[in-house]
Amino acid sequence: MKRTVVPFGPQHPVLPEPLVLDLVLEDEKVVDAVPTIGYIHRGLEMMVERVEYSEMGFVAERICGICSFMHGMGYCVSLESIMNVEVPERARWLRVIWAEISRIQSHLLWLGLGADAFGFENLFMDCWRMREEILDIFEKTTGGRIIHSVNRIGGVKRDVSDSELAAILVKLEDLGRAFDRTAGVFANDPSIHHRLAGVGVLSATDARAVDAVGPMARASGVVMDTRLSGTSGYDQLDFEPVTETAGDCLARVVVRMREVRQSVDLVRQAIARMPKGEGLPLETRPRGNPAGETFTRLEQPRGEVLYYVKANGTKNLERFRARTPTFANIPAMIKLVKGCDLADVPNIILTIDPCISCTER
Amino acid sequence: MANPLRLPMAPRALRNLVSRPSTRRYPDEVRPRFEGARGTIEFDVETCNFCMLCMRRCPAAAIRVAREERIWSIEHLTCVGCNVCVEVCARKSLTMSRDSKPVHTRADVGPLGQRPGHEEWHGADPATAATPSLPAAAAVSQLPTAAPAPIAAAQAPSAAG
Repeated sequence: MKRTVVPFGPQHPVLPEPLVLDLVLEDEKVVDAVPTIGYIHRGLEMMVERVEYSEMGFVAERICGICSFMHGMGYCVSLESIMNVEVPERARWLRVIWAEISRIQSHLLWLGLGADAFGFENLFMDCWRMREEILDIFEKTTGGRIIHSVNRIGGVKRDVSDSELAAILVKLEDLGRAFDRTAGVFANDPSIHHRLAGVGVLSATDARAVDAVGPMARASGVVMDTRLSGTSGYDQLDFEPVTETAGDCLARVVVRMREVRQSVDLVRQAIARMPKGEGLPLETRPRGNPAGETFTRLEQPRGEVLYYVKANGTKNLERFRARTPTFANIPAMIKLVKGCDLADVPNIILTIDPCISCTER
Repeated sequence: MANPLRLPMAPRALRNLVSRPSTRRYPDEVRPRFEGARGTIEFDVETCNFCMLCMRRCPAAAIRVAREERIWSIEHLTCVGCNVCVEVCARKSLTMSRDSKPVHTRADVGPLGQRPGHEEWHGADPATAATPSLPAAAAVSQLPTAAPAPIAAAQAPSAAG
């Protein structure tokens, strides 16, 4: 049969960011997909040569506008492990709280974008209205809505008072209840089922074979969550990774919806466990320049992120590298796109939650 | 969520018909930014000693300090609002204001092609600072391209940047 190549992106209504796929079609079926990345490469990793290590965290945070908190935190955790800095306990818990709130923010953003992609404008607005309340929490506690700039090597820059934490928890639990109603729409609406159920099925074996990470792997039944390794206080929290077994687009939506509720619960546990009081230490100042190298793994909203940092005893690092979750999920996406209908391609691409600016840095 | 019509969004859609909108009537009604929000860098040239620490630590290279000529300048569109310069300033010359400046437009581009959002201050010459008649601090929007303008060329304070 004659083959047709349809370019998908860099400009496409469902794509928030420029990803390019050359789709090779036979009739309406996609037989091959060739991805091209590099449209928004900004050379942030190269900036370690100019920006001093103590300020590089603010640059690292700008890798992505959605998981910005986690990128800043990942950089600081890497430097703390090189320089053997012990983070004060309250600062560690504050990081967990902000990280989980940013996970809620990211998932709400994605659920909205997903609803927009399959044409449910109403639901898109509903998710983003809830996300706005989370952004207000961020502006109140960190000073920035998207770029928080609150992590520093050795701790955090700002404290959140106990009364404010209690108010945040009340707000999050209200939001969780409101979200349950929205989740019901995702779970029960027949038009959503029609578009998502049974589309783009990734089996657990395939998920392992193509090294899918994060919600993508968990929707296929692979129990995989970097938080289980217990870094930065997660070992003291009681949680089970959210998994689904279907592995289709709907399962990936459901995993993220359940993770929103799980994150609210983790914030509640973290607030209960953190040391209370005013004026507790928030940071340990590192001494000297870093020397050595390290790997750091974190669970971002999109999956596992890996940082490699190499320092040579000067003010500027020798190498800073981030392997982002979207990069790890692109092979899984290509695998799913092959053999599907052209009309399902937007939904499959969107359900991996692509973050191209992370991937290209 | 047992809904006989299988339209789970319907109750909310009906409620939205009669409830107030979730959004504000934006240009008429603006929510003030929260306490501690990071907006724009503000500078006090009177207290600055041009030590250049803010310039060295700025991750975005938005600040330029010419110690000899005593010029302190910032590109507001390059500034990322990380607050580092405010934290390192020993003389407390820098503060972070809560509000952001209005959007910079093409009309802000200066006659010499300066970028919109550029703002600079000329400090008093230490040799002549004792003379009270000299305009010690003037925020000017004109940026000399290569050679720094002499202090006397500092124009009247204008709404820079």
